[in-house]
Amino acid sequence: MNSELIVEMLSIRKVYPDGTVALRGVDFEVRKGEIHGLLGENGAGKTTLMKILSGLLPLTEGEIRIQGKPVQLRSTMEGLKAGIGIVHQHFALVPPFTALQNIFLGEEGGGPLSPLKLEEARKKVGSLIEKVGLKVPLDTPVESLPVGVQQRAEILKILYRNAEILILDEPTASLTPLEVDELFQILRALKKEGKTIVFITHKLKEVLEITDRITVLRNGKVTGKLPTKLATPDKLAVMMIGKKVVPGEIKKAKALGQPVLIVKDLVVKNDLDIPIVNGVSFKVRSGEIFGIAGVEGNGQSELVQAITGLRTIEKGEIRINGVEISRKNPVELYRMGLAHIPEDKRKLGLILDFDVAENSILGLHKEPKFSGRVGYLNWKKVYSYAIGLIERFGVITPSIMTNAKSLSGGNQQRLVAARELSKPSSLIVAAHPTRGLDVAATHYIRELLIEMRDVGKAVLLISADLDEVTLLSDRIAVMYEGKFIGLGRPSEFNRRDLGLMMGGVKAV
Amino acid sequence: MSSLTESFSKAVKPITEGVFAIGIGLFVGALLMLVWGFDPLRAYLELFRGAFFGKFQMATTLSYATPYILTGITFAIGQRAGLFNIGGEGQVYMGAIAAVAAGTYALPTSVHLLVTVIFSMLAGAAWALPPAVLKVTRGVHEVVSTVMLNWTCVFLCRYLAMGPLVDPNSAEKTISVLPSSRFPILLSGSELTAAIFASVVFAVVVYIILWHTAIGYEIRAVGLNPDAARYGGISPLRSTILAFMLGGFAAGLAGASQVIGRPPTWAIYGTLANITNLGFDGIAVALIGRNHPLGAIIAAIFFGGLYTGSRYMQMYARVPVEIVRALHGIIILAVAIPGLLDIIKKWWEKRRGK
Repeated sequence: MNSELIVEMLSIRKVYPDGTVALRGVDFEVRKGEIHGLLGENGAGKTTLMKILSGLLPLTEGEIRIQGKPVQLRSTMEGLKAGIGIVHQHFALVPPFTALQNIFLGEEGGGPLSPLKLEEARKKVGSLIEKVGLKVPLDTPVESLPVGVQQRAEILKILYRNAEILILDEPTASLTPLEVDELFQILRALKKEGKTIVFITHKLKEVLEITDRITVLRNGKVTGKLPTKLATPDKLAVMMIGKKVVPGEIKKAKALGQPVLIVKDLVVKNDLDIPIVNGVSFKVRSGEIFGIAGVEGNGQSELVQAITGLRTIEKGEIRINGVEISRKNPVELYRMGLAHIPEDKRKLGLILDFDVAENSILGLHKEPKFSGRVGYLNWKKVYSYAIGLIERFGVITPSIMTNAKSLSGGNQQRLVAARELSKPSSLIVAAHPTRGLDVAATHYIRELLIEMRDVGKAVLLISADLDEVTLLSDRIAVMYEGKFIGLGRPSEFNRRDLGLMMGGVKAV
Repeated sequence: MSSLTESFSKAVKPITEGVFAIGIGLFVGALLMLVWGFDPLRAYLELFRGAFFGKFQMATTLSYATPYILTGITFAIGQRAGLFNIGGEGQVYMGAIAAVAAGTYALPTSVHLLVTVIFSMLAGAAWALPPAVLKVTRGVHEVVSTVMLNWTCVFLCRYLAMGPLVDPNSAEKTISVLPSSRFPILLSGSELTAAIFASVVFAVVVYIILWHTAIGYEIRAVGLNPDAARYGGISPLRSTILAFMLGGFAAGLAGASQVIGRPPTWAIYGTLANITNLGFDGIAVALIGRNHPLGAIIAAIFFGGLYTGSRYMQMYARVPVEIVRALHGIIILAVAIPGLLDIIKKWWEKRRGK
């Protein structure tokens, strides 16, 4: 076994300019010629770590050694010079250019007027293709190629630049199962050629199938390093999710009422016109919190958008209080009793250049109490309503005339929660309601959701934070690739099961 | 009352920015004059004297400002709704043509003016409708569609003004509108008519719509963040069309003001001289007025003053009118650089700190 270390990253710390600590002293080593799995949940720091390795992001503290030599990578160019290439989750191809032109782009050499040496490039690319079996039609515009083939073009692109270490960020995220198999064959061929590969994923099955060794990250720290031979889905799930016992006693729902939200065989497409919610059915009753866990990108966002009137329903139906909602717009839904704390509070929940008072009536601006019958806004009433909101929910702002932009992230979120939870509602859809909040604010929002449940509202909670979902929910579903891979009471699952399901392995 | 000071400081910032931009324009303009050997102090004195000091000067300035207020609003509403509506030019033409058509049509005296005004506003809005519909149904960018429609208007108007609507007794203009359709002259011997009141009232109405009604709230929400607006149950399509229509009304009225509010001809010139470029100058007015209808009033009066005063500047300080045009350009540039004031403020604080 060749055990020469080709990459060593020592005590890497990364603090983003906004103060977010992404990596808290990570040691990461890759051996020459191996396929190394980098496993972790969203926000664990996988992508940040690899962006640092490829030169895309500067590190805050720590050291990187390539083949034993300390290096300082200030750009992806320098990363490539050191032999490191990265294929991002979202490709960087020029759509109308052919694969060959894309591969050649940036490697023209010579002066601005020297003729393009495309034919030489074609030869070099051709021999690369032969060596590793990366079949790509070189003369078709990449925009008309399937995603899997575009990805191969990306891989060719970095091979063409003589990368020895290939980093693939969630390479299977947008691939069909067949394409995944093909990708794995290519990766094995590349390994045979002596290339080193870092494979970033949150999918347990894949990491077990393709890698030689695995490093697990959680919350910016390494929680496990092991050869794949010694890994089991259980072990990895615990490393990825943590063993922490759910804190605090959970006041479970007392009396369940009528179903408020009924979702039946729902199919929803994403922006690329690909079905991303694939036949989901569930009910949320009044007086219960229904939690949906799962790694992001498995269809949760689109599910929420369909329920809240922001995305068209492809198949199936959604009923709120018995009424079918496929043709309703958000205002009609609010009037039917929906409150929606959106996933992206800054982009969707607030208009940042509106002041606090204006934001406090977004969606309520047509209510007769604010705009009467003719639509003339009564600012006095709006102001007193806004003052009521910020006092009751503890939103810290210099004044209600301050633009939402100037509030801190936590207070922006409080403002959205304040507005939505103050609506007269029977169904609350809360998407990642505590993301990015400090401990106190998190606790506050969670208490509110429990309070809402206890007064008989139905709460649909979507969160990538497993602790939050298990703590608050009366029932839990785990979403994986557009379907519920598991559904039941929190007591029926332990963390290991949940971790397995989030990674796509059905626990029995 | 921190909310009062807050709203006060919110209002002050755009005003200081506007004033600052004008200051830069005047300063660079002075440098230009020095380079060409003119006396900038003298020139500016004549400029402001000619624009604002004296009954007739002021009246002329206001008569110039009348259409600028409206075309400024056309662009400003678009901006508030997230649109770059440069179709004001064509919509002005349509308003003017409609004013000639309605103003030469014999109607009862009591309603003739009102009918003509409404007809012109509708004509302006009708010309704004195709870009609006194309935008919301097919995603056609409003810059492309409005520019094309502007040119259509130029040739259509030329044809109408020199053909069907030409004055048989004086071929350089269209038929003059009937006295019953005209805005009353406010100061005899000047060009100022009651159209200025229509213009100001329209600006105030737009202000009320934008900041005191649910519809205006929706338009502004869509302009700032269409996704959040949709989340808030607002239809971006509806708000877009509304913004185009309001802008069309304003531009149509601007066109009318150049016919039924413009002595002594009360007509469109065959060269279209009295309606050309009003829509485009409105963009500058909106920029200086910070896309606010009340700001547009002030900016329009300033612009009107520049035009009026430049004649005096030319006559008494012998400064060519081109320098005044350059002045306009520099002021617009100074306004258009976003946050210029912030940058200079920071620089100043840093300097003072050291």
